Amino acid sequence: MPQIEHKAIQNSVAKTSTRPTLFNQRSLWSLFGIAAIISSIAQTGLFRQDIINPGGWSVFLHFLIASLHPDLSPELLSLTLDATIVTLAYAMYGTAFSVFLGLVGGVLASQVWWQSVFMTYSHRQFQPTAIAPWLIIRALLSIPRAIHELIWGLFFINIFGLDPLVAILAITIPFGAVTAKVFSEILDETPRQPLIALLSSGVSPPKAFIYSLLPQAFPYLLSYTFYRFECSIRSAAVLGIIGAGGLGYQILLSLQSLRYEQIWTFFFALFLLNGSVDFWSALLRHHLGSPNRLDLNSLKLQGSKRPTINRQSHLILFASSIGAIALLLCSFSIKIDYTKLWAPRTIQLLEEFIGEVFPPNINTTQFGELFNLSTQTLAMSILAIALAGLGGMLLCFPAARILLPGGVLNPISQSPHHWFWGTIILLLTRSLLLISRAIPAPIWALILLFILFPGILPGAIALGLHNLGILGRLMAEVIEELDERPLRSLQALGATSPQVFLYGVLPNALPQFIAYILYRWEVCMRETVIVGLVGAGGLGRLLTEQLSSFDYKSLVTTLLCFIVLTFGVDLLSASFRRL
Amino acid sequence: MSGTDPIFELKHVAKRFGKSRVLANINLQILAGERVALVGPSGAGKSTLLGLLNGTQLPSQGEVWVFGRNLARLSPSQLRQVQRRIGTIYQQLHLVDNLRVIHNLNAGHLGRWSLFKAVVSLFFPLEVETAAQALFKVGIPEKLYERTDQLSGGQKQRVALARVLVQNPIVILADEPISSLDLGRSREIMDLLRDMSEQTGQTLIISLHAIELALSHCQRIIGLRQGRILFDVPAPEVLPEMVEALYRIENARTEPIQKI
Repeated sequence: MPQIEHKAIQNSVAKTSTRPTLFNQRSLWSLFGIAAIISSIAQTGLFRQDIINPGGWSVFLHFLIASLHPDLSPELLSLTLDATIVTLAYAMYGTAFSVFLGLVGGVLASQVWWQSVFMTYSHRQFQPTAIAPWLIIRALLSIPRAIHELIWGLFFINIFGLDPLVAILAITIPFGAVTAKVFSEILDETPRQPLIALLSSGVSPPKAFIYSLLPQAFPYLLSYTFYRFECSIRSAAVLGIIGAGGLGYQILLSLQSLRYEQIWTFFFALFLLNGSVDFWSALLRHHLGSPNRLDLNSLKLQGSKRPTINRQSHLILFASSIGAIALLLCSFSIKIDYTKLWAPRTIQLLEEFIGEVFPPNINTTQFGELFNLSTQTLAMSILAIALAGLGGMLLCFPAARILLPGGVLNPISQSPHHWFWGTIILLLTRSLLLISRAIPAPIWALILLFILFPGILPGAIALGLHNLGILGRLMAEVIEELDERPLRSLQALGATSPQVFLYGVLPNALPQFIAYILYRWEVCMRETVIVGLVGAGGLGRLLTEQLSSFDYKSLVTTLLCFIVLTFGVDLLSASFRRL
Repeated sequence: MSGTDPIFELKHVAKRFGKSRVLANINLQILAGERVALVGPSGAGKSTLLGLLNGTQLPSQGEVWVFGRNLARLSPSQLRQVQRRIGTIYQQLHLVDNLRVIHNLNAGHLGRWSLFKAVVSLFFPLEVETAAQALFKVGIPEKLYERTDQLSGGQKQRVALARVLVQNPIVILADEPISSLDLGRSREIMDLLRDMSEQTGQTLIISLHAIELALSHCQRIIGLRQGRILFDVPAPEVLPEMVEALYRIENARTEPIQKI
């Protein structure tokens, strides 16, 4: 009897559920991705020509050895301190202004604002009357976002000369647009009942926003602001390289005069600055109940956990007062002449620029070259993100706390031996990640050029290394924020740590990893410009050449090409993420 | 506007969301000072009806007249003028949790305040006296500077009532104000609402599930079922059969499933 029953069950299973085929949308896209990476490698000319410059090894070794004895003379240390403050100040001002722009732009770019203005908030669908202004503002925001800070910086240098305003504006404009986009998404995702309650009692939209959506969204807005500040620090360092001052500038000067001991002093300052800001920001974001950027990206605001109120409000107070003091101190240390913004000379130069740009120089002979450079740029971004993604996935696990005793993969062990080695591995991988993200990509590229011939390969590796540090950290955060309950239940049924990893950790984390990688790919695409600056090929190199030779007519064409490419990558990445 | 003119008048009103019809051919007049309960099963259209009365929704057909004006004909700013005289109490989730109680109360002033004053008050609370009095009337004066998410459900509902006191409208609409409270708390909130309208002469329209509280606290009962008015009578005239007809579950729906 039981056997017959067993047969019957088997038959019915065979009838109702067939094994799903391995060929589905996902596997097709993965094949597509692998093909893209292989063709990108082919673009670099690897295996066909000499890539490695054997003569450079001794210089490179020399450079590495210098890390053991950095220049700690008092003069250089005080120079380092000044440069650090300048970088910090640029980041502070850039963040402050971009958050202000983001707040105004974010309200104006949100659906809920226009629905409130036109009083169509209770309709189930987004009404056409409200769509028109919303679409226009969204489109306006997307253009400054597509152009990298460095291009903005080079443009403003042509107008203001070497001035702190260059760095601050170059951070403010693109970051303001990004912040506006994210803020608008946060506002649209915030529960609307309190807003509707106010609007329905005849309160005008600005007042209703101030008394409902803005305070409700405040923790998320603040936590994103801190994330932006981390990005601003890295950006301020890169902007130094075009001459805007600060640590990036000093590193470039020392690199050009081959003073490796000095470089390492600046590097250590950069590690310290990045490390402490990242740590502080992560701590705050953790306590604000919005642990990582992906939460903002995938917009699961309602579900995320809130910490206790006292702690939270104290932390906010503490952090914002420190921020205010630091901003004040920095504002004393660098002199900013805002009147330059509307000085007659500025306006004259802008007019000249606009006059020169139109009509843009479009001729068919360029198209071949532009197409070539575009494929190079694309290949560079794909290689960079492949390296960053793989490296990040490998390093994020040892960088997360799960391996420590008490962590998910090692819950029982209490031996001091495990504590010791776990902590060592944790610290080692974390500092590795910190080093790779703290050093700006163009500096990585310059270092790589010791041992590699110029081309898109050193550019891709430089970008990849820098993004690896960022991705690894974000991924480690993902792992630490995983829901532990399914993992504990796997352990409870006797699964070994590798099995828990395979059936619990990986399936939960992988979709988020992929989402991060795709998001960073968009960033990599924009950042190809900054390695182009130091000769790593692609559209970036052409852009910087045209900017420095004031060839604005051709610049506009190249920029258009670059923006189209950027939008293409954004679109592709968004459609991947929706799978 | 004379005293006998209706505050609300609905003429042949229908409301559709896409294909589904929520309200059909509603004709209704509500006079100043009346206390009206809207009762009926979930999905009968009670919330939609309240949404039509306070102008957050416009009818698909027919006309809604409030204070002698056709809402469909008003510009957004004119509509806001009308809405300032209508106070709506929703369930407690319409308060902003991470603001202090005082700011949620002062939101009742916003129709009159300038933007500048509204911003200043968020940092230095203004007109504290009015807010404190309103909170005293609803029985929790000590919660003035507490954060709203620290309050219980019943306390939040009292804050929502106090906000309407601050707004001081001509009409109060309440959309299931007691649906998430236990019986004791529900009775207290209903007592407060009745006392408010008796003391100030404010018109009160409440949608409710608890038929007993509707009968004990309101003068006029309107029964809604599947988007139509089933009955509209003074409270003492409501018969048990009418209530049963209102909440009856139709068997017709389950039959086709049984045939399969």
